[in-house]
Amino acid sequence: MKLLYRGAEADIFMGEWAGAEAVFKFRKPLPYRLPELDEEIRGQRTVHEAEIIRDARSAGVRVPYLYYVSPRESLIVMQHIDGPRLKTFLQSADRRRAQVSTEFGRAVGTLHRAGVMHGDLTTSNVIVGESGVHLIDFGLATHSLKVEDHAVDLRLIKETLVGAHSEISSSVMSSFFKGYAEVVGEKRAKEVSKKLLEIERRGRYARVE
Amino acid sequence: MKGDLRVLGIESTAHTFSAAVVSEKRGLLCDVRDIYAPPEGSGIHPTEASIHHAAVAAKVVKEAVTTAGIRWKEIDAVAYAMGPGLGPCLRVGAVTARTLSLSLGRPLVAVNHAVGHIELGCLLTGAVSPLVLLISGGHTMVVSYSSGMWRVLGETLDLTLGQLLDQLGRYVGYASPCGRRIEEAASRSHRYLRLPYTVKGNDVSFSGILTAAKRLIDAGEPFDDVCFSVQETAFATAVEVTERALAFTGNQELMVVGGVAANKRLAEMLGVMVDRHSAKFYVVPLRYSGDCGAQIAWTGLLAFRSGDSIPVEKSVIRQSWRLDTVPLPWRAGA
Repeated sequence: MKLLYRGAEADIFMGEWAGAEAVFKFRKPLPYRLPELDEEIRGQRTVHEAEIIRDARSAGVRVPYLYYVSPRESLIVMQHIDGPRLKTFLQSADRRRAQVSTEFGRAVGTLHRAGVMHGDLTTSNVIVGESGVHLIDFGLATHSLKVEDHAVDLRLIKETLVGAHSEISSSVMSSFFKGYAEVVGEKRAKEVSKKLLEIERRGRYARVE
Repeated sequence: MKGDLRVLGIESTAHTFSAAVVSEKRGLLCDVRDIYAPPEGSGIHPTEASIHHAAVAAKVVKEAVTTAGIRWKEIDAVAYAMGPGLGPCLRVGAVTARTLSLSLGRPLVAVNHAVGHIELGCLLTGAVSPLVLLISGGHTMVVSYSSGMWRVLGETLDLTLGQLLDQLGRYVGYASPCGRRIEEAASRSHRYLRLPYTVKGNDVSFSGILTAAKRLIDAGEPFDDVCFSVQETAFATAVEVTERALAFTGNQELMVVGGVAANKRLAEMLGVMVDRHSAKFYVVPLRYSGDCGAQIAWTGLLAFRSGDSIPVEKSVIRQSWRLDTVPLPWRAGA
């Protein structure tokens, strides 16, 4: 097996499962965390992630197919999706930027409409695949229909865009909102973006106009 | 020294009133502090702290200039912490700085306290453009420099780490700051009590830990065990989001600054984490982890050298002044 990506909480390996190319996501023990706390968190997050991926798929979001799940080993084996991460894609000045951003908005809208909060929507967790925008890494996802939780998702997207792609962040955000509103409806989209501003205002020392 | 630049900096955002002098050529010349100590069981009362600051201001500034071994007229600019912080405390520093600026006939420079922590950290550790974990009583933030500003990659949604430790300590009768006493209590225990582990996206939240910890204390659990568990849980969440940010940015440097950077267990956890990414790890020296005039003087020098100064009549204070809104002309092009 080949190491694809050494993430903060999991290592991603590329291997084979029943003759198909597969991604092995292994939540490794984090040596800085107390072992008893660490094991509990890794097991919980593995089961939870598998359940959420299943729910996202039934809602119509493009996510990897699951092949094998083992909480004891903190392992999930799933379909490999070919394509650049949104982070890389946005750095490449591709002319499909607006279109992809809108599609990303639709994917997140579909997820939210199905009552799932992703919890870790950075541009590293979105793959621009041939068949469309895929969402990956549901390790911090939860079931929620709350405006607040959905706004927290969007806040992270905004935070990541401003943090890592500051020059294009506002144009990407507006294309994103277009797609998001198409799915969840204008009214809900407005509620969520209003809540997003409210959350930003709650930030320490914040002055959001 | 001819052609040198010397800046006097004044810090007064919270419990510390401090003055320091830095020289462009010789670095930090002195750092004099007088810290307001609240009574046992209390936090920083802003008015009480400001009364303390007003009482010690003249003495601290004079001592700084004497210790630096310079004459008053050798000061080229006066820097002050404009914010963020406690209003009454900030005002004392601002008034002191304006007075010096007018009487010496030297320009006034306004400095953001959080930027000060970071720039002083870079000066003392040699980090160039690190991912920064800023942890103190006022901040718990992971920031990275991009396009002219420090950008926030993760932060607390409620309390700061410093506040969590202070409020826990005050609950059993300590006076702020309680970090060191909590650390000592924690080092005496290895018994872990489960507390809420909250990571939301790349943000952390400590209010649930505080509530649960108070309940454990009320239920008669030994304080040492509670401190151990609070540190293990809260620090692990902070390290987790820092690790995410490190993986996300691919930065090869991590620097930790702010008062809580003095905690050895936290530094140990961060060190273990950074090793996995083969990045360099910098911890601000203990003496300069907390609030000090040096952070204001040094950042003031950087700002002044880039042409920054503020007329006295515009030299207000800003109790709320987010780090990610501060322009950093001296870092432009970096």
